[in-house]
Amino acid sequence: MTSSRTLTMARAGREAVMWEMEQDPRVFMLGEDVYKFGGVFGTADGLGEMFGADRILDTPISETGFIGLATGAAIAGMRPIVELAFIDFIGVCYNAIVNLAAKHHYLSNGQVKVPMVLMLGSGGGYNNGGQHSQALHACLAHMPGMKVVAPSNAYDAKGFMHAAIRSDDFVVYIGHKKLSGVGFFGKPIPGTMSEIPSEPYTLPFGEAKVVREGIDATIVAISWTVHQALDAAEKLAHEGIDVEVIDPRTLVPLDRESILKSVAKTGHLIVADEDYQSYGFTAEVIASVAELDPTVLKSAPVRVANPDVTIPYSRPMEQHILPTSQRIQEAVRRVLSK
Amino acid sequence: MKVTIPNDQWDEGKEGVIVTWIYGDGAEVEVGDVICELMVEKIQSDFVAPASGVLRILVEADSTVEPGDHVADIE
Amino acid sequence: MLASRHMDDRIMELYYRDKTPVFDIAAGLIPGEIHSSHGQEACAVGTVSALTGDDWITATHRPHHTAVARGLEIKQILCEIMGKANGLSGGKGGHMHLYSAKHNFSSSGIIAEGMGPAAGMALACRMQGNPGVGVCFLGEAAVNQGAFHEVMNMAGVYKLPFVCVVEDNNWGVSVAKSASTAVARNSDRAAAYNALGLYVDTNDPEDIHAAMSKALRHTRSGSGPVILELKTYRLQGHMLGDPQHYVPDEEKAAFRDCTLDYRAKLEAEGVLTASEADELQARVKAEVDEAVEFAIASPLPDAENALSGNFVDEITGRANI
Repeated sequence: MTSSRTLTMARAGREAVMWEMEQDPRVFMLGEDVYKFGGVFGTADGLGEMFGADRILDTPISETGFIGLATGAAIAGMRPIVELAFIDFIGVCYNAIVNLAAKHHYLSNGQVKVPMVLMLGSGGGYNNGGQHSQALHACLAHMPGMKVVAPSNAYDAKGFMHAAIRSDDFVVYIGHKKLSGVGFFGKPIPGTMSEIPSEPYTLPFGEAKVVREGIDATIVAISWTVHQALDAAEKLAHEGIDVEVIDPRTLVPLDRESILKSVAKTGHLIVADEDYQSYGFTAEVIASVAELDPTVLKSAPVRVANPDVTIPYSRPMEQHILPTSQRIQEAVRRVLSK
Repeated sequence: MKVTIPNDQWDEGKEGVIVTWIYGDGAEVEVGDVICELMVEKIQSDFVAPASGVLRILVEADSTVEPGDHVADIE
Repeated sequence: MLASRHMDDRIMELYYRDKTPVFDIAAGLIPGEIHSSHGQEACAVGTVSALTGDDWITATHRPHHTAVARGLEIKQILCEIMGKANGLSGGKGGHMHLYSAKHNFSSSGIIAEGMGPAAGMALACRMQGNPGVGVCFLGEAAVNQGAFHEVMNMAGVYKLPFVCVVEDNNWGVSVAKSASTAVARNSDRAAAYNALGLYVDTNDPEDIHAAMSKALRHTRSGSGPVILELKTYRLQGHMLGDPQHYVPDEEKAAFRDCTLDYRAKLEAEGVLTASEADELQARVKAEVDEAVEFAIASPLPDAENALSGNFVDEITGRANI
């Protein structure tokens, strides 16, 4: 019986984790509040009951410690999934992530593998304050030795979770909190929910998806901004502007070819990202296109990102700095009016 | 079979919401499948099919519900 | 101990070759920094000799003696230190990042970074039903790093089969333990983690072996982790080139050399005669010298190798290379 079910991203991701854990006794999850609480963002909901306290392992508040622990367990043949709740916390354990987990494979010349998944809850827009609302894509994508995936919908969430767990590499899996469909963020964004097959499936790292075909401009977006871009596209369509929206899904490896192909078609590039603007994903996309073939650009590319300020708490201020559909629309109109 | 929100699902006087239906109207479900997500204040809970059969949705998502409400049928 | 000492002696000699007259750290056969293990050999030999093939070791930025004690081939260690193609990691790691998967051995340059992985290896052993123990080597100053606290606590909570071996040479680069550490003995800190604390101050490999065996029995039985603190001596400074001016003369004068002390003990106990000891030393020296020549003669790696190795299924950055 293959009944179509419409799942939220959190549920779809969890389904993948559950399936892999059932199949492979080497897979286990660890992090704060995973066992009874099911993870702060529901990533482990129900798993504690299914697999027990030894495989859904509650840790003390020791991020450096347990990321190191997971790295060692991975080196010794297990396949751990670390639940790090908030992406903002990578500051606490950055060394363990970038100098430890990410470097062992290279420094050992392949003798040692680190088949580990690091799950991070990313993003703001719900007034959680400057230390709990960041989308630190660049800090992770910039450092060599880790694959980085940031799915925008449930179908991708499940496929990439299967792929991440099965990969022999260190994979950082960034789930946006507002896209997750976890109850306390209000009604799940419809665009994030998809019909999910109950069988497992994997998706390839390094392949972007054209989520909306168009001809007038290319918007490259990641994670939450994919939905902002799609909303902008719908609004712009009423004005006769037909934009193409590309979701790279994986920051590392990044599918630069597909992005170039799209800009070669449209001639105009807008990049959206919830991370801080400078030194980030938006710059990487623009630089890549310019390096590969600057002649495809008919106008100066535009970045729509969080400005380089700490994210404020008060609603009007926070909404003002986010890369919303409104800001993306304005960017497209500006670019095309020149 | 009538599908109702159990009387002890949450405390009296509180309002719940059907956040989303996981299976669509007309879908085949099996007993034990999670068929929709309910929400009371900050707590989300899974609502599980009490029987197998074809799901007929009577109350749409985003509707507020109370314990005892008849929200669907399973034929 | 002799092999390790002689290897380090040769490394010291080769390190300075071609770097002078104006010291250029990047020049010569052995570029970069070298943190030699002169004086601490007993710590490695005593502890590692009590381990089995199921156990896992993480070592520090001062890894030579631990690597040699674990059985890594001196040829391969030297090749790696000289950045040669047939080094342990094909030259990618260098002196601080010595890896040997078949020996369950790795070392790291970030202080206390070996704690988490060694505990994780211990956890993996337990999950796999394997009797292995995770052993992390640390210097006494590294104990003040946050990772030590976090991991010891987790090891205590989970009752992991985990031993932290603290090699106390009294100096964290230029700062004495008394100036950096709030307690006199790091093994006393075990109380904070419901761990067993053991202390050996003789720098004698047999005493150390006995203590390590006790530690292993304790932790393998499921009674929790152990901090094994070993008093030892750092004879050549933090790194080669460091004259240790900050060490008071009286302290320097009181430094002990475990290779001399242990030899004297063996001779006194009648285990070896003086000439047997000389012979042994000469034999080991010759083996190490041979390894040195082999390493010197070995080729450097292909420069292009730098670009691969991040991932098991390799994908290079298409736009930026």
